[in-house]
Amino acid sequence: MEFLPIVLALLATGCTVAIGAALIWPGRGWLARWRSRRQQVRAEDSLKYLYAAELRNSPPTLSGLAATLWISLPSAAEILSSLERLGLVEWKASALQLTPAGRSRAVRVLRAHRLWERYLADETGYRELDWHKQAEKQEHRLTPSDLEALAARLKNPIYDPHGDPIPNPAGETAPQAGIPLATAPLDTPLQIVHIEDEPEPTYAELLAAGLYPGMELRVVERLATQMRIRVGRDERTLRSPVAANLLVQPQPETAAQAPQARLSDLRVGERGAVVGIAPGCRQMERRRLQDLGVLPGTVIQAEFASPGGDPVAYRIRGAMIALRKDQAAHILVESLEESLCA
Amino acid sequence: MRLNRSACSDCPVHQAADPSTLGVDRERWDYLVALGGNPNTGKSTVFNALTGLRQHTGNWPGKTVARAEGGYKYTGLRYKLVDLPGTYSLLATTRDEQIARDFILSGQPDVTVIVVDATRLERNLNLVLQVLQITDRVVVCLNLTDEARRHGLAIDERQLARDLGVPVVPTVARQGRGLDRLMSAVAEVAGGKLVGRTRRIASPEYQATREAALSSVSKTDGNRHGQSVEATYAEAARIAARAVRQSGAQPRFDLDRAIDRIVTSRIWGFPIMLLLLAGVFWITITGANVPSQLLGRFLLDTVHPSLRDLAVGLGMPLWLRGVLIDGMYLATAWVISVMLPPMAIFFPLFTLLEDFGYLPRIAFNLDTLFKRAGAHGKQALTMAMGFGCNAAGVIAARIIDSPRERLIAILTNNFALCNGRWPTQILIATIFLGTLVPARLAGVVSALAVVGVAILGVGLTFAVSWLLSRTVLRGEASAFSLELPPYRPPQVLKTLYRSVIDRTVYVLWRAVVFAMPAGAVIWIVANLQLGGISLAERLVDLLNPVGLLLGLNGVILLAYMAAIPANEIVVPTILMLTVLAGGLSGVGAGAGVMFQLESSAGTLAILRAGGWTLLTGVNLMLFSLLHNPCSTTIATIYKETGSKRWALISVVLPLGIGLLLTGVVAQLWRLVAA
Repeated sequence: MEFLPIVLALLATGCTVAIGAALIWPGRGWLARWRSRRQQVRAEDSLKYLYAAELRNSPPTLSGLAATLWISLPSAAEILSSLERLGLVEWKASALQLTPAGRSRAVRVLRAHRLWERYLADETGYRELDWHKQAEKQEHRLTPSDLEALAARLKNPIYDPHGDPIPNPAGETAPQAGIPLATAPLDTPLQIVHIEDEPEPTYAELLAAGLYPGMELRVVERLATQMRIRVGRDERTLRSPVAANLLVQPQPETAAQAPQARLSDLRVGERGAVVGIAPGCRQMERRRLQDLGVLPGTVIQAEFASPGGDPVAYRIRGAMIALRKDQAAHILVESLEESLCA
Repeated sequence: MRLNRSACSDCPVHQAADPSTLGVDRERWDYLVALGGNPNTGKSTVFNALTGLRQHTGNWPGKTVARAEGGYKYTGLRYKLVDLPGTYSLLATTRDEQIARDFILSGQPDVTVIVVDATRLERNLNLVLQVLQITDRVVVCLNLTDEARRHGLAIDERQLARDLGVPVVPTVARQGRGLDRLMSAVAEVAGGKLVGRTRRIASPEYQATREAALSSVSKTDGNRHGQSVEATYAEAARIAARAVRQSGAQPRFDLDRAIDRIVTSRIWGFPIMLLLLAGVFWITITGANVPSQLLGRFLLDTVHPSLRDLAVGLGMPLWLRGVLIDGMYLATAWVISVMLPPMAIFFPLFTLLEDFGYLPRIAFNLDTLFKRAGAHGKQALTMAMGFGCNAAGVIAARIIDSPRERLIAILTNNFALCNGRWPTQILIATIFLGTLVPARLAGVVSALAVVGVAILGVGLTFAVSWLLSRTVLRGEASAFSLELPPYRPPQVLKTLYRSVIDRTVYVLWRAVVFAMPAGAVIWIVANLQLGGISLAERLVDLLNPVGLLLGLNGVILLAYMAAIPANEIVVPTILMLTVLAGGLSGVGAGAGVMFQLESSAGTLAILRAGGWTLLTGVNLMLFSLLHNPCSTTIATIYKETGSKRWALISVVLPLGIGLLLTGVVAQLWRLVAA
């Protein structure tokens, strides 16, 4: 009767000790693991910085490293010396350089980053703005075997969803194609091949303008601080610093492009023949639509809408398939109705 | 899953050397048959008809989420049948497709049967042609020929067989027609008497499909994929055009569309959904009353005393008698008498709706809301499964491709009020709310109260999904495509018979596995004395302050701890503990003995004597909706997500909400009442 409080007190003490030990146990505790993780993340980020500097042909500096990693100069120096001890960087002719081992580690991290972005884009519902942040974390967690399994599953993609080349396991990268939008010829069809995802506010502005790799556009007019572009039937304005983050490739001039109707434009009861799927519809979603029979020439009829108006049920090759509005907007159709053609 | 076997491990020599590697004993079957097909072609029905197993069937796409296995005997040989998930394609865009393709490719089945919907031949032939790229040992099962005839379609299966180069067998699996011919065709192909001679199509795109289908790591990009699918569909259209004849005009009136326009209309869509839900609950509540009482009277009032007398006659010691008869037997009997009738009524009703094809329409109607919550429209289907059993709902979440949205569906499934929690809801609603109104309204009011709690659960599903997709599972709703299958008249008698049998077995099993040990534990806890006071009373006293703060009491909290393995035993435990803690005498059958009182008025009297108020009743209903999932569901969540973290969150999340909500309600109630 009287020993109940004592038992409870003992239990509470035991729990506190156990939790405390789990937190601060040297080597195995939560704190120690957190520190070793942070160490690894910083080391790999440093390698990435050095690799990027190498690609840019500009010599890396200690202050540049400290600024990139948001750490103090002494910490940056400490990381560099530990990387040197590990044989990942070396001083050659008083310049800091990656050793072959260091370079291959940096390439692996970069490969992990871009593959993970590809994965997020193709197989998950994460938003574009979250891809980079997620990949920044995940690039340090994927083991080499995880990485290759992921690559195989994604069918060894060559470009990440922004159009950046993904290095192959040997460390080679496909060349980055395209010219800056600022130097592209006026009034010719251009295809976006790369969208830079940093800095984030600029990227958000590009996303808000509805731009994605693979999209076709034309430059209508170029002014000092901004330019006007045309996408399909719409004209949009881009600020020059934003436009600088786009790489494009001129396309051959095709026959006069008729303004395209989209499946989502069909009203209930109307029919349309599929012309194609817009490039903004990414890999998995695109394949899913194709497997459902959304192919050029397929006649689709809008049958009925849900109480909220979205999704709409379409008859596609004999089956009734419900699609959300933003998906149906990716499907380009030729309307078979008089009312829409007019 | 043992799907990616090397060719070596499939060789009979290898198996003879090490039978354990296969997981299946080669000795027990002669041929391995894979069953594939598009979703919603009646694949599971064919599987059940052939094997006599009762794989759950339903009229919504993607229902078979795991591989089911069964077997049958034909002319003395044993066939093992593997039911693959339904897929539109084998080009491995989703996990299901990967499973199906890998099995056909590397599992090396002796025969692959592809079930084809005769009313949508062209669409289904796409898959057939893809499978024919991999193997010639194929039998096409042309199912739903009765539906095709109703639509005025005549299919020349000989022409089809000539064009495909493999046997084609027309069937109506629901009525068991054509299955004999199917089995004989399978036997001929398996035995090598019939060799498929498929014409491979020469076009380069088609070859690309073949390569894509055969290579495990194909490098097809979006464009190549599109071209090969296009080529396959074009070939499918050519073959279908030669085999199908539209005889007579299409029926002028399309009943399916007429029903769809009503059940998905802006005005009627939601009211019909609510009405059906309330109707199902009402039928369950009123229908379960009488059989529950009969079972209770028999198991508790007749069998229990005679068992006691028998034990006394045998000279059993008091503690053994208590554990065996007053603990284990009574808990089991109680669970059976309370659980069996509602389950045996609810499940057939639910299955009828499912067979009819109404569930995908619910998903269609609710998708807007799920989309706004950042979740997947198919979550409506997993939620509907959750009303039956949360563990089943968690497994059903596999139909959602996107991992983020699948996790949301899993974590919020517990907000669907499962069958194990209904007896609590129904009992408390009946004795606390039903007694507030005139007797003739009592049934309706109780049903509405339970529906109210269920709808609160649905509302929380949306709210929590929204919260999750704004915080830990950030992201936008991804693509969603849902096939709305044609309506099919449900097979009422078969469904009723099967559900009653299935549910009886299931409830008995749960009762034996969970209620029996729990009954023993409760009896011991109630009778083990520590310093003159039973352990149960000590625990109740310990929990009482927290319980009262939440508008509940220590008894309820203790009962929920005892009921982690199975929610079904909550109410009997509460009653028993209330009597014990309240020191009531003259009711029940002694400490730790579960009992059921004849009338709800009697139960109410006991609970009132134990200090219960209307607030306690209402909060118990809330807490019954909002507490941790049962241990089976937690284990399933752990298995499905492979993460202890998510399993833990699935426990903490509803429990936290439940504690918060009951606490707030209690404080507000006291404010208003004071």
